[in-house]
Amino acid sequence: MALAVAILLAISNARQFYFSYLVAYLFVLTLALGALIFVLIQFVTRAGWSVAVRRTAEHVMGTIPFLLLLSIPVLIGFEQLFSWSDANKVSHDPILQGKQPYLNPGFFYLRTAVFLISWAAIGYWFRKRSLAQDDQGGSRITRTLQSASAPAIAWFAVSLTFFSFDWIMSLDPHWYSTVFGVYIFGGSFMAGLALIILLVLVLQRGDLLTNMVNSEHLHDLGKLMFGFVVFWAYIAFSQFMLIWYTNIPEETIWYAHRLSHGWEFVSILLALGHFVIPFFVLISRTAKRNKQVLWGATVWLLLMHYIDLYWLVMPVHSEGFHPHLLDLLTLLGVGGLFSAVLIKLMIGPALVPTRDPRLAESLSFENM
Amino acid sequence: MAQALVDIDSMEQEIDPIEERPLLVVGEPGLHGVTEAVARPIEWKPPLGWYIALGISLCMLGVFGISVTWLLLNGVGIWGNNIPVAWGWPIVNFVFWVGIGHAGTLISAVLFLFRQQWRTSINRAAEAMTIFAVMCALVFPAIHTGRPWLDYWMMPMPNEMGIYPQFRSPLMWDVFAVSIYFTISLIFWYLGLIPDLATMRDRAKQKFRRLLYGTLALGWRGSGRHWLHYERAYLLLAGLATPLVLSVHSVVSFDFAISTLPGWHTTIFPPYFVAGAIFSGMAMVITLMVICRVAFKLKHIITMLHFDRMAKLILFTGSVVGFAYSIEFFIAWYSGNPYEQFAFINRAFGSYAWAYWIMFSCNLLSPQVFWFKRARISIPILFAVSIVVNIGMWFERFVIVVSSLHADFLPSSWGYFSPTLWDISTLIGSFGLFFTLFCLFVRYFPMVAMAELKGVLPEARVHVDVTAVPPKLVSEEKAPAKTEDSGKEVYGLLAEFDDPEQLLRASHMVREANYTRWDAHSPFPVHGLERIMGLRKSRIPWLVLVMGLSGAAAGMLLQWWVSSIAYPLVIGGKPLFSWPAFVPIMFECGVLGGGLGALLGFLLFSRLPEHYHPLFNSKRFERMSDDKFFLSIEAQDPKFQREKTEQLLWRTGAAHVESITA
Repeated sequence: MALAVAILLAISNARQFYFSYLVAYLFVLTLALGALIFVLIQFVTRAGWSVAVRRTAEHVMGTIPFLLLLSIPVLIGFEQLFSWSDANKVSHDPILQGKQPYLNPGFFYLRTAVFLISWAAIGYWFRKRSLAQDDQGGSRITRTLQSASAPAIAWFAVSLTFFSFDWIMSLDPHWYSTVFGVYIFGGSFMAGLALIILLVLVLQRGDLLTNMVNSEHLHDLGKLMFGFVVFWAYIAFSQFMLIWYTNIPEETIWYAHRLSHGWEFVSILLALGHFVIPFFVLISRTAKRNKQVLWGATVWLLLMHYIDLYWLVMPVHSEGFHPHLLDLLTLLGVGGLFSAVLIKLMIGPALVPTRDPRLAESLSFENM
Repeated sequence: MAQALVDIDSMEQEIDPIEERPLLVVGEPGLHGVTEAVARPIEWKPPLGWYIALGISLCMLGVFGISVTWLLLNGVGIWGNNIPVAWGWPIVNFVFWVGIGHAGTLISAVLFLFRQQWRTSINRAAEAMTIFAVMCALVFPAIHTGRPWLDYWMMPMPNEMGIYPQFRSPLMWDVFAVSIYFTISLIFWYLGLIPDLATMRDRAKQKFRRLLYGTLALGWRGSGRHWLHYERAYLLLAGLATPLVLSVHSVVSFDFAISTLPGWHTTIFPPYFVAGAIFSGMAMVITLMVICRVAFKLKHIITMLHFDRMAKLILFTGSVVGFAYSIEFFIAWYSGNPYEQFAFINRAFGSYAWAYWIMFSCNLLSPQVFWFKRARISIPILFAVSIVVNIGMWFERFVIVVSSLHADFLPSSWGYFSPTLWDISTLIGSFGLFFTLFCLFVRYFPMVAMAELKGVLPEARVHVDVTAVPPKLVSEEKAPAKTEDSGKEVYGLLAEFDDPEQLLRASHMVREANYTRWDAHSPFPVHGLERIMGLRKSRIPWLVLVMGLSGAAAGMLLQWWVSSIAYPLVIGGKPLFSWPAFVPIMFECGVLGGGLGALLGFLLFSRLPEHYHPLFNSKRFERMSDDKFFLSIEAQDPKFQREKTEQLLWRTGAAHVESITA
């Protein structure tokens, strides 16, 4: 619905639509990628504790094949989004000319296709094998997934780094930061964990999973999420401080823009809301075991992740901070479709990997 | 004892099973077997190899002494440092040694938080390695000016000319980061050592040893209360050490990355330096453990499983480092900045290309063999790769420092750096310092964390809910009528048990009988004991939080006051109160406050050190820190009645009950 309205409005303001859509799309995509890396890490580390919540994450990453479809508007609006695609502009800019071997439409499309399809394939395959284990049982599937997880993680690191260069960093084609991919990873993983916790809480409210997932699992997921709140802050601060300190104009301009024209309030909100407040809220053991606190914290952190992406993308579109109705509509639209697919995936299969050899270990797990 | 006729390494064992968790120790040595194996190197004459190793290390330490003395007599002119390569080997060695230290903290803190129980076999030695490596690292900034007697200028106070240290300089951040890292690592290491020092105390035959280890063990009795606060403090220290270890090498990377120099200024430096540090340190752990497990007959405790896990970590961090090299290269090209582009092409193909390719092949290519399991469990390959990685990581720092400096923005000032004999001798000498300390450590301290290792053995698992199942009644005739009475004043009764399950059951029964002044004693923390004893949650977290926040506030306040009020000086066009530049020291001071809080809380709440306790009068109690479990009830307890209490203790299933004189 919202998406339909958004598309109607898009006719009046196409550029705004594409930027709003990009943020909304990146939001759901990074959530799914956060879940994907979560599942891969569980296999590569042979984790036992997480088996009871792994299926939830598998459903989230199972949406990636569908997200392939949702990427189409971005690819259509490509020329409006990425100023380096304007041949006329490039011909007057020696720096952009130098980047042409990398930043050109053909290669961009190719990379995007390779990245998205590979993630979809990894997500689809891992979920499918895990579901197959519900029928077949045994340890053979676990062994296969374990062996596949290490190369998958290596590829994930490479692809996410270059994807974030392509889709976010190159919106401002002059600016560069080597740590940018790690920054996107930190935020995405944190948000992915927030979504997994939220889904578990939602399921438990519907009286599902209640005898499988207990406060021990939530506590552990909460610890991991807390850790990545801090990790995000560490990377964000390092990037900011190094650029601020060195004060080279071509790098500082990116932050200078985000610390003026109304964006400074968003920046301060991010520093407080993405780090300081959740840090103090989640630091206590009691908070991480309290469902009410977790409800609030996960919803809040998902919102912050959206604002983080908004803050990365939108200053390229408008000089000042001007929220637009389309921001909300695209978020509702894309988010709605994402949720619908997610719900569809969740209906049917068991809520936990019932015949995973480590399920018993997970069910009896206790924190120190 | 397990190390006997069979070769442990060749024994068929599945190190990556799925159906169940692998055993961390081969050959089921049991609790006592672990104590024996670990205490052996300390109590027996060391092997000949140890004397040889110590001898060589001492010779190298001598070289170090000569080099430093010569430096102090002549000044830094004896080194190859020049302009433009003003930062030569001293900083290369400094960064190298700090990096080595990081793996110890990774194993002791990060893997602890991730519940990687295999770390118990190697964490003690790795932490010791951290401390010694950081000591080696600290030597270089201390001597690199050739005038160490002026080092106090780095203290946060004005010198005799009224000049304050400059907190906007990352070199000052380093002073705080590395010294606080050293302090916290030492506290963490010592806290973990306390139960094991108690074991050494209880086993000691000579008076001097007993006194020494007894003093260091602070009167540890393995009591339920001790363990409660110990575990809480340990967890909190791990939680503090984890961001600390990230911050330390990040701060080291800031030394380079806040400059405008191409090849130094890049935002990926902080995480990339941390990964590189862990990478090199893990290699050093492998090098040391390959030797120690053979030399001190610990093959069944440090097994192929441990090497497999460490090799995977090497593969992971090595790949991260290699990927970071590639990203740096890519972005240098992508930036369109000709200076950046030149710096990287010069790195790979310029006059230091040889160093670059040594670094590249050692760090990125050599660990790739660990994709294969056969390589991860082959001692020769592990040993070879670990040495190669250490060489590679030393060269990485060399490449970063020298290749970026030697050809800066002005071609007229380009130069070339060649080390002198004194550079080389100082580096070799620092290895002498490191190995000397390590040799002494393995001889005089338990190099495996016994108490922790016992806690993850199968013997430590409790399978039943002791509160639900009634105990097996001990027949009356097994119980003697009355313990001997020496006529002296009685402190209380002490019951001995053979396994943790019995201890839990007995504790439950004693508590049900409404006793209040009693305690349980065990060689490792028994899971669930604090619940059965009804102990209150430890309040250490609050102390840590308050002291941590106070430390951070004090750190920020200090920097604000010095930079804005006491000594307002504009540096690099930065505002007087440059908060981003003050965050690192604020963070470090916060961690220092929190870490001291954890130590203080542990000592305060568990009432240690305690120089005398009546329980130490019992000969049997010496096995509290080995393989036996005890329960003591004080005569002060209002419910205490000599005979009734004694009967109760026999009924709980005690193997022995005795009366303790005060």
